[in-house]
Amino acid sequence: MKQLRAKFCALLASLGLVASVLAQSDAQFVKANQEYASNHFKEAIDEYQTLVHAGEWSANLFYDLGNAYFRSGDFGRAILNYERALALEPHHPEAQANLRIARDEARALELRPSWPERYLQSATVNQYSIAAAVVFWVAAFSITGLILSRQKSARLITLSSFSLAIFGLLAVAIFWIDDTGKGRALAIVTGKETEARVATADNANRVLALSPGSQIKIVQQRGDWLYATLPNNLNGWIPAKSAELVRL
Amino acid sequence: MSTDQTRFGILLAALSAFIVSGYAFAESPSVTAVLSNSEAGVGATVQMEVKVSGANSVEAPDEIKADGLEIHRTSTSRQFEMRNFTTTSSITYTYTVLPLKAGTFEIPPQAIRAGGTSLRTPELTLHVVGSPGRQAAPNRGSSGSNVNPGKLVFAELIVPKKSAYVGEVIPAVVRLGFATRLVSLDGPQIAGQGFTMQKLQGSEQPQVELINGRQFAVYTFKTAIAAARPGKLDIGPVKATARLLVPSQSRSSRSRSPFDTFNMDDFFSDPFFADPFGRSTEKQDVPVESELVTLDVKPLPANPPADFSGAIGNFSMTVDANPKSVQVGDPITVTAAVSGRGNFDRLTAPALEDEHGWHKYPPSAKFKQDDDVGISGAKTFETVLSPNEKKQAISPFVFSFFDPAKEQYVTLKSNAIPIRVEGGAPAAAAVSPPGSATPAPAAAARPAKPTPKPQDILYQLTDRPAHAQSFTPMYARPNFWWGQIIPLLGLLGFIGWKIRQIRVDNREAQRMAALNHESAELMRKLRRTDRSPYQYYLDASRAIQVKTALAKNVEPNVVDVEMAGAAFQLDEDSRRQLRELFARSDELRYSGTQNGGESISPEHRREVLDLLEHLRI
Repeated sequence: MKQLRAKFCALLASLGLVASVLAQSDAQFVKANQEYASNHFKEAIDEYQTLVHAGEWSANLFYDLGNAYFRSGDFGRAILNYERALALEPHHPEAQANLRIARDEARALELRPSWPERYLQSATVNQYSIAAAVVFWVAAFSITGLILSRQKSARLITLSSFSLAIFGLLAVAIFWIDDTGKGRALAIVTGKETEARVATADNANRVLALSPGSQIKIVQQRGDWLYATLPNNLNGWIPAKSAELVRL
Repeated sequence: MSTDQTRFGILLAALSAFIVSGYAFAESPSVTAVLSNSEAGVGATVQMEVKVSGANSVEAPDEIKADGLEIHRTSTSRQFEMRNFTTTSSITYTYTVLPLKAGTFEIPPQAIRAGGTSLRTPELTLHVVGSPGRQAAPNRGSSGSNVNPGKLVFAELIVPKKSAYVGEVIPAVVRLGFATRLVSLDGPQIAGQGFTMQKLQGSEQPQVELINGRQFAVYTFKTAIAAARPGKLDIGPVKATARLLVPSQSRSSRSRSPFDTFNMDDFFSDPFFADPFGRSTEKQDVPVESELVTLDVKPLPANPPADFSGAIGNFSMTVDANPKSVQVGDPITVTAAVSGRGNFDRLTAPALEDEHGWHKYPPSAKFKQDDDVGISGAKTFETVLSPNEKKQAISPFVFSFFDPAKEQYVTLKSNAIPIRVEGGAPAAAAVSPPGSATPAPAAAARPAKPTPKPQDILYQLTDRPAHAQSFTPMYARPNFWWGQIIPLLGLLGFIGWKIRQIRVDNREAQRMAALNHESAELMRKLRRTDRSPYQYYLDASRAIQVKTALAKNVEPNVVDVEMAGAAFQLDEDSRRQLRELFARSDELRYSGTQNGGESISPEHRREVLDLLEHLRI
């Protein structure tokens, strides 16, 4: 009986701790917004960053952080945080609008999507994942039904083949968006005067000058340098500290 | 079945249409012509390549008449390329141009028949200097440029220049010659540091050349080299390992000079002719190495134009825009094509001289090369501009490069393109007619500083979701995979249900088989005449029950006369016969008279058999 009571108390304590952490992060978010409203953008950035470091990620948090960076004149990080907001909620209307304005201000360069990406961008990776799971199970059920039926129905054969083909296409789409396209490798230039070079040396020939907020796709990292796909179908090395990945 | 065939037909038709569309969208025939070098010495040959794309049947001249030059076609090759499901084919005609005297000569445009259309090559100019030993002479590194008659192989690295600028792309040719049969070739590779090099593009088929009275099969590999730093640069040597068929040392019966390794004293002692069936030859790995070539690399002059991005070569530029009449904010696509010869990989898009009042989007680039190594061709940039105010023209585009022949920076400047932009505030601009780009002083190329536009961002958002969001894609989250357990359990349940159904079906099939067997057995017994009345009527009533059970899928014991009559839709007369038969059977079974001596007449037996045989649905 004593043990049961102890367990119950521990449960209550944990719930209380969670509630207190949530309340604290809410208070911090409110405080950050107040700092922003008072034009204390540096303080607002610090408060928002604390929440980011605590893993309290949300599209609105990154959007607000992007606004704070925009107001403080750091367009590169503003664009980075708008991109993060859009990575969490691809149809976040405010983030889309402010990203466009920030890009105009920073004259940031964008990666041109390849033709498969242009077609595949109509849905998100998560939507493709759900569709792929549904189609997979339809295929699994129809193939099982086909195997365990005495008479092989043409409808069941067609459904199995069709759902397997769709599943394959969806799997390719997921891989393409997440791995080949602007997925996990997408990064934003945050450095002020970043120049992509042909080799990993500050005096190597210049490939492209990248404005803050320009999109790049990281191919590999070597020491303090990143080899990246750049806008205008170029490739080059940039200092690792000059860019940050969109996905955390 | 016919529906399936129709579906398959539709699928096949769609696939065919897709494949055919790849050909349908293939580009229309086009022709390009380039010289391997624009300068040559008298007697030193240069290559001219005429490439015809997008045509299957092509007619090109075997020789070309040009004053001071002797031009003969030496080879033809065909390439196929499939890109984005679009197939393109091209035919490349290689001509050898032999300058006969010094001077500047024009190779006139040549008419090429490609499919049903007639194409013309561009006019090419070749500068011929007095002797091949002067500046036009290539920089050669050879293991035997004066090929040693005693050697079976030679390697040669030909670089057409002795000095170059940092970043300047120089074509280089590697020639490997073999006087004996080549089995396989590992390499070649060009050794050296301080330069970048394109992948070596080799010919599949060798050309046979007579060098110092001996026939050599010569394989040619092309590449382009660009120096990365100034100073003396050693290129090469070219190294390769060739596996050759050489005469077998042990089986050779001919006497030969101790100084002649391969018994090369007379023509017919060549291992190529030693034994056509290879009985007295053996494979031997022979290393091949050329001498190195030294290049004097100069740094680029100081004070490049502001928009210089590292382009080195000789280029021309054309700029056009479409559409030319828009509203403020509408997009205009500006196409700038930079063509010529040089380091196209370093070419960036021409810059808009005055960006004021324009919103400029990042340009896209497409390169179409005219040679094997990508130093000759045209790079087309498409830039989308959007006017923020009323405009009368798109200001000139500027493009700067370093011309190594003139040894100075050149800035190309296009003319302003007159357009009409309606709506918004008016803006004045001086307009000159559009056309091709003209070189301008480098200082004039500096683009004007853009004017910042006043824009403001949207408000802060104060609400937060109850749970933190994640960047991890759904398929990589554990919850997604745990969620798959539900349909997995459903699938396992479905499998169990199907298996149970199969078992039930099997039991039913076994029961039906047993009933069929019993029915057949009973009919066989009823045809016999030695059965007692008791046995006979018992079997007859049981046969009716079994047949009815088979027809109605019920247990035989529950079958009575009415059920049997209804199952087989019997008329009243037959039902009466059944009643009598069942009554007689019950009487004999329960009255205790089963051992009596009463017999059944044959007519009665026939009637009963007829009745039983007609019990069918």
